Amino acid sequence: MSGEIACHSCDLLVNVASLKHGESAYCPRCGCFLTRYRNDAYDRVLAFASAGLVFLVLANSYPFLSFASNGLESVMTLRQTPGALWANGMPEVAALVAAFIIVIPAAVLLMMLAVCIPLNQGRYHPWMVPLAKGIFMGHNWSMVEVFIIGVIVSLVKIAAMATVVIGLSFWAYAAFTICFTVAVASLDRYQCWERIEALGAR
Amino acid sequence: MNTARETAAHSNLAACHLCCKLASANVHHCPRCGSAMHLRKNDSIQRTMALLVTACLLYIPANLYPIMYTDQLGTTEASTIMGGVVLLINLGSAPIALVIFIFSVMVPSGKLMAMFYLVWTVERHSPLSPRQRSIMYRVTELIGKWSMVDVFVVAILVALVHLGGLMVIRPGIAALSFAGVVIVTMIAAESFDSRLIWDNMEEKNSDN
Repeated sequence: MSGEIACHSCDLLVNVASLKHGESAYCPRCGCFLTRYRNDAYDRVLAFASAGLVFLVLANSYPFLSFASNGLESVMTLRQTPGALWANGMPEVAALVAAFIIVIPAAVLLMMLAVCIPLNQGRYHPWMVPLAKGIFMGHNWSMVEVFIIGVIVSLVKIAAMATVVIGLSFWAYAAFTICFTVAVASLDRYQCWERIEALGAR
Repeated sequence: MNTARETAAHSNLAACHLCCKLASANVHHCPRCGSAMHLRKNDSIQRTMALLVTACLLYIPANLYPIMYTDQLGTTEASTIMGGVVLLINLGSAPIALVIFIFSVMVPSGKLMAMFYLVWTVERHSPLSPRQRSIMYRVTELIGKWSMVDVFVVAILVALVHLGGLMVIRPGIAALSFAGVVIVTMIAAESFDSRLIWDNMEEKNSDN
């Protein structure tokens, strides 16, 4: 193991072999973040990924928002966000919204569990390679935090027209967003792949 | 001087985009994860330009057509992206209007301009600070997905507001083209190879 990494922003070779727990490496030429080493990285990923999945299930089980005006009421669940677009003749946008806020984040968390449990125990399986590829391809395309901002903007937009009540699902989704973000930030691309390779070579 | 440091390309090494593995520049697939491997991303400038032009074309209907319709007591009101911003200001929620303005107007148009600028400077072998252009590229990459806020707002309002004959919100065609703009610019940013910014500098230095 050479311990060298090429900055993906400017291609400079940087030696990162001497990183200690909690230390990060940045490219000396362009300032781009390179890698961060934590000796408890996989514990953190597992804790936040499993909590995130529990919150995502909860977010799908209760009303997300409800809206009442002049004695009429409508209740929205998380799944209806893409569902209503589908019903209104926009299947393409519905599929994108479903992928960005539910399907991709859920798949990334499941793949994280599948890869990090054996990594944490020091075991290697050949299927870890395609799953790890899936994690690092998928997490760029999840927009859970963007969706939370979207919910807040929507609330302000319609608060003047009617009474809007925030449901349990909203809070579960907000907690899911936090867990997802921490899990993604805790799994370092370079360190994860180095570990997979080291375990595979044994 | 910084440029005296060795790059991977000088050492005839290519880095895998997906797993950071360094391998000989002559192999076509990453020995660790199996992804396609290149010294620099293939036809980066051409692909980025093509995607940017596509995004610009999609940006026109995204702004001209309504992003959503509000049916209230028999009357239909269409609102465009800019119309939504104006409506929010009139409702007295200027901070939210600013959020929507930044995410839906400034971020996508700023992102398109920044990407055109980066492609143009790389093509012209511009001597302008590569470090600043690298930072510009990373910011562009980071903020890209935030423009989806408006599409999510439409999705939420359509799902939430359906009170029989009293009030219904329906999505407009601009939601589709605007989602297209966001995704195409994200792919454009991904296909741009920021290492080209630095390659120009090294050519200059080796000429001297």
